Amino acid sequence: MSGNPIIEIRELTKFYKGNDEPAINNISLEIFNGEIFGLLGPNGAGKTTTISILCGLFAPTSGKVNIDGLDIHSNLDQVKQIIGAVPQDVALYPTLTALENLTFYGNMYGLKGKDLRDKIMVKLSFFGLEKVAKKSISTFSGGMKRRVNLIAGLLHNPKILFLDEPTVGIDVQSRIVILDYLKEINKTGTTIIYTSHYMEEAENLCSRVAIIDRGIIISIGNPKELVSEHPEYKNLENIFIHLTGKELRD
Amino acid sequence: MFKFFAAFRKEWLILIRDIAGLIVLFLMPMIMIIILSLVQEYGWNAIAKEPKINVLFVDEDHDSLSSLIKDGLSSARIFTLITKIDSVTLTKEKARELVRQGEYQIGVVIPKNATNTMNRKVKVLVTQFISGIMMPVNNPFLEISVKDSVVVEIYFDPAVKGTFKNAFTSSMKQYSLKIESSLIFKIFNKELKRMFPQYKANEYEYKETVVFKEEFPSGDKEEIIPTSTQHNVPSWAIFAMFFIVIPLTSSIIKEREEGSLFRLYTLPVNYMTIFMSKVGVYLIVCFMQFILMVLSGMLILPLFGMPALDLGGHYTALTVMAIATSLAALGYGILIGTIARTHQQAAAFGSVSVVILTALGGLWVPIYFFTGAIKEIARFSPLNWAHKGFIDIFLRGAHVQDVMPEITKLLIFFIITMGLAGIYRKMKPPFGS
Repeated sequence: MSGNPIIEIRELTKFYKGNDEPAINNISLEIFNGEIFGLLGPNGAGKTTTISILCGLFAPTSGKVNIDGLDIHSNLDQVKQIIGAVPQDVALYPTLTALENLTFYGNMYGLKGKDLRDKIMVKLSFFGLEKVAKKSISTFSGGMKRRVNLIAGLLHNPKILFLDEPTVGIDVQSRIVILDYLKEINKTGTTIIYTSHYMEEAENLCSRVAIIDRGIIISIGNPKELVSEHPEYKNLENIFIHLTGKELRD
Repeated sequence: MFKFFAAFRKEWLILIRDIAGLIVLFLMPMIMIIILSLVQEYGWNAIAKEPKINVLFVDEDHDSLSSLIKDGLSSARIFTLITKIDSVTLTKEKARELVRQGEYQIGVVIPKNATNTMNRKVKVLVTQFISGIMMPVNNPFLEISVKDSVVVEIYFDPAVKGTFKNAFTSSMKQYSLKIESSLIFKIFNKELKRMFPQYKANEYEYKETVVFKEEFPSGDKEEIIPTSTQHNVPSWAIFAMFFIVIPLTSSIIKEREEGSLFRLYTLPVNYMTIFMSKVGVYLIVCFMQFILMVLSGMLILPLFGMPALDLGGHYTALTVMAIATSLAALGYGILIGTIARTHQQAAAFGSVSVVILTALGGLWVPIYFFTGAIKEIARFSPLNWAHKGFIDIFLRGAHVQDVMPEITKLLIFFIITMGLAGIYRKMKPPFGS
């Protein structure tokens, strides 16, 4: 990969209180502009911790992160303006309608008025939700909630989009729509960093993936290249199992 | 400011969509204020209007003393005297047993020959007094002493409150003193008539020489009568306003548990803006609660025969005081919601601490009854400041400037609690620790 890295991670380590083992251990990584970068790993590998630090949710124990040339620690407000985050949980207010939820999140990015409403309606329409725009989130199916959850992180057209398992537990149709949309916005220049347990999905979507386990990056590269480097494993999932083992994780 | 209003709108929408929550927020304080005011009214004040307390009255004397005490107790209109149970005249033992069992709260026994004993004692005292004047030296009559007193036994149910017991005993002493002085006067007349046949005896009529004029000085020209409503409404209103802690903490914790907080932390908005939007919405709720409770005092309580709440026309003082109290309650709620990890923690700590602060604040038992360290601690309860402020307005006719110390304290409390919540969030963020 060449060009300027939009995200630079240097020797990132995070210890949680009361834990002797670090959640992530001395990770260094560069993610380039326009990439769809997959962060793959079993439960407790350190994916969400990494994403959370990159989103400015909390500081690492040590190490440095630069986003779009800005040190995240000292320029958090500026960084938050250019990133979008789609958390693993459906971070929506259940008693509010889809429109009200999205208006609120749009307002938090400084978007307002007709411009915001148009943006919301275009995105709802793309995701097949325009007819339920005025229905409360509590009446939505899991897939519908996930789609609104995704839109909430996209309204301000972020330069970088972080997605923490955006397709977990949803129907195939919703998954296809979400992945198609991600490919679409990536074409227009949005860098996407996402975590997933679905290896096939990552193999098809990502330009590069990093396999992380016990807080350490154990493999990184283009998924197809990784497969061709290990022809005996045939696909990314087998490589993943080979690298992380069959032991159950909690 | 735009983000504040957007967050305010979101918070407002969440609140008004929760119909059950709204009913609890507005209806419960109204019900509480009506029920508690009625309970207090009927428990303490209404007993003066119609006989309510049954007193077991055992008359072993069957003479003028017992008859006078009986009349005295009956005329007080607080008591209903019971002399028979199941058509059987009460005995001392039966009365004692019934009070011990808690079926009755008070029993009075006027002993056998009480009138005779009293007459004899008074007669000796009067005679000694008169003969002492006539023959002060070597008067053998002066050596006679009457040791026996009339012992009226009063049984109290152990569950009866001390204040009530003291009030009853005082009333009994008052009746017996009246009777005794009346008797002394009669015997004096009789003895003087015997000694000086030309003396013309006066008919005795007991008249109190000292009368009490009760007044309730207030800051207004017009006196505000301290009815139970004037006392109860502000007390219970403050109590209910501080219970805003529960829905407010619930809103904060819900946001955390549902995952919205994660996203909020990734947004380019200061979390204090989100906090303040909650304060804004719940301030309106708290203020509306106060208005509803005041209206209940003015319009609903009179329907139950209670006196109507008199605002005394000090609307500005009341408004400022209500806002300051609401802010203090909200600051406390924000602090608890920030520190508590679960709904259970917040609900348990929030409600119990409000009850403790209420008790300490003198809302249930007036602070002037407190002694020692508790009295000092009570001065630091925000509910005490609020209570003092409201009582000053409702009962002493205070204006804004008069309650400014209480308003200032409440506002400082709000600033401190909000500051502590902010510091806690900074030191112990909800994520990554």
